[in-house]
Amino acid sequence: MSNVSLTQAIPMLLKAVPRSRNFEAVLLFWVAGIHAFALAQIQLAVSQRMSWDMLYYWAPPTISAWILHYVLRKYVLNADGLLLPLAFLLNGLGIAMIYRLDLAEITRGGEDLFAERQVWLSCFAMLMAAIVVRLVRNPLVLRRFPYLAGAAAVVLLLLPAAPVIGRTFNGATLWIAIGDLSFQPGEIAKILLAIFFAGYLVSRKGPLSEIGSRVLGMRIPRAKDLGPILLFWVASMAVLVIQRDLGTSILYFGLFLVMIYTATGRGFYVGIGLVMMVTGALVASRLFGYVGARFDSWLAPFATENYTAPGGSYQLVQGLFGMAHGDVIGAGLGSGFPQLIPLAESDFIFAALGEELGLAGVFAILAIYLLIVYRGLRIANTHQDDFSKLLALGFSFVLGLQVFIVAGGVMGLLPLTGLTTPFLAAGGSALLANWSIIALLLVLSDSSLRRVKE
Amino acid sequence: MSELALFLIRIGFVAVLWVFILSLLSVIRADLYGRRVISRIAKQNAPMLTAGSAASLGIEDGDSFDPTEIAVLTGRTAGTNIPLENKKEVLIGRAPSSDMVISDEFASSMHAKLVHVGPDWVLQDLNSTNGTNLDGKKITTPVTIRAGMTIRIGTTTFELRS
Repeated sequence: MSNVSLTQAIPMLLKAVPRSRNFEAVLLFWVAGIHAFALAQIQLAVSQRMSWDMLYYWAPPTISAWILHYVLRKYVLNADGLLLPLAFLLNGLGIAMIYRLDLAEITRGGEDLFAERQVWLSCFAMLMAAIVVRLVRNPLVLRRFPYLAGAAAVVLLLLPAAPVIGRTFNGATLWIAIGDLSFQPGEIAKILLAIFFAGYLVSRKGPLSEIGSRVLGMRIPRAKDLGPILLFWVASMAVLVIQRDLGTSILYFGLFLVMIYTATGRGFYVGIGLVMMVTGALVASRLFGYVGARFDSWLAPFATENYTAPGGSYQLVQGLFGMAHGDVIGAGLGSGFPQLIPLAESDFIFAALGEELGLAGVFAILAIYLLIVYRGLRIANTHQDDFSKLLALGFSFVLGLQVFIVAGGVMGLLPLTGLTTPFLAAGGSALLANWSIIALLLVLSDSSLRRVKE
Repeated sequence: MSELALFLIRIGFVAVLWVFILSLLSVIRADLYGRRVISRIAKQNAPMLTAGSAASLGIEDGDSFDPTEIAVLTGRTAGTNIPLENKKEVLIGRAPSSDMVISDEFASSMHAKLVHVGPDWVLQDLNSTNGTNLDGKKITTPVTIRAGMTIRIGTTTFELRS
């Protein structure tokens, strides 16, 4: 009867390795190959020969990604198979671009290098994501303390304005620093805010969506139900004033609007929220010089007074020139002049990639972001639990909106902000936050499938 | 490095990125339209075999045996017998309405059927997901059952007995 025991073993074997995990493994091989290609191309273009240096920028992140893959295999077998390879692809492209900028810096005789730090920060962020997966196997535990998450988010948002540890770079007060370690607490705050909104809206969506008097065919909520939206508008405006950054405040307010709209299904909130936000931004641009200057650079980047002003549109214009040089297929990795753009390794890495990979490459990068957001929305759509639905939606939307604000800013379609390009830009706090978001999305997708099977 | 080689590498990198993205679209396609089951068995197995269409199939006459029951050898219902007398067709599958119900993860709801054709019983797979095995080989066309042949569907095996 060995025949029978074999056939009985087949279901167990199939159950042990779902399709998504194996697909993920194949994609990880592929992505590692793309990274090696990018690094080799950069070395060939810059120094005409390949050296073993590239292993230093290739191997540690690849090993970390495989560790994360192993942890997923062990704890969340049914998690989505595309998120990890997609995020890892972006992360590696970022490292390659930063390495390329470092090579240019070395040629210039400078010592401001970022790639090595970025490699280790990426590894750290991926290992943290593995720990998040291990700790939060059931996302419903996050529902237990929404108000604590909300309070922690507010504290983190206000921290950069604190006297001793707060730091201001390029006019935006987004950092805290203790000794040599600097950190951007706003990045972590976006995770906590999504948890808070999801927890709050799940318990209050009844009154928010159903009670209210009808005026002109629209249901106007009670004044007391408008409280939270007003409160949050004030908070976003406070962020705008204190941190001097329009992007951060748009990001959080946008997250809030989308989540309240999803929870209640009422366009009223979006309408009134957008009016309030635009009014606030316009008033702020009149009242505060730093916001006004950003608006001026956006509206007329090529005007001499904006171009030559300190912190004016010089950076934006350099980025635009770079992308124009890139044309459709790009100058080729290592063959452009992205080092001419100030802060090309962080705020303007999108423009640097645009120059070297061209329009086709930029579209590819945007398509990768689109796929990440799409997978997140799909997790939200298929999940049975309302809290998890809202949380997955919040996470994917916040990533998408951030890319929109950053890419729009770099392309001159939106005012420039201090937000970072997720996964690409140099910076540890952003990597940590975005990899944690990926980890939570993976856990959410696993719990969604687990329910279906039971 | 020659100019041409650099140019090819530069085009190649963007191309590799796009091939990667487009290959993921196959997964997304499945999200949108569902996974398409393309089965060679499905094409070969049509037309549907019925008790009346025996002659057109040209099933050769051999030493036929006259089975009277199905004996389940292994699986959840091992040891049970299903009588065949006065039956033209036996529908096998997971659906409760089947003549022979197989509650097995690997059985389709309408998995296969046995048809009485002349003196013989003919086994036809009904485009099942995991196929029907006769004596260890997956069947692709209707097959006449001979004495002692075992049929396997998922983890259930059975044979016809006289």
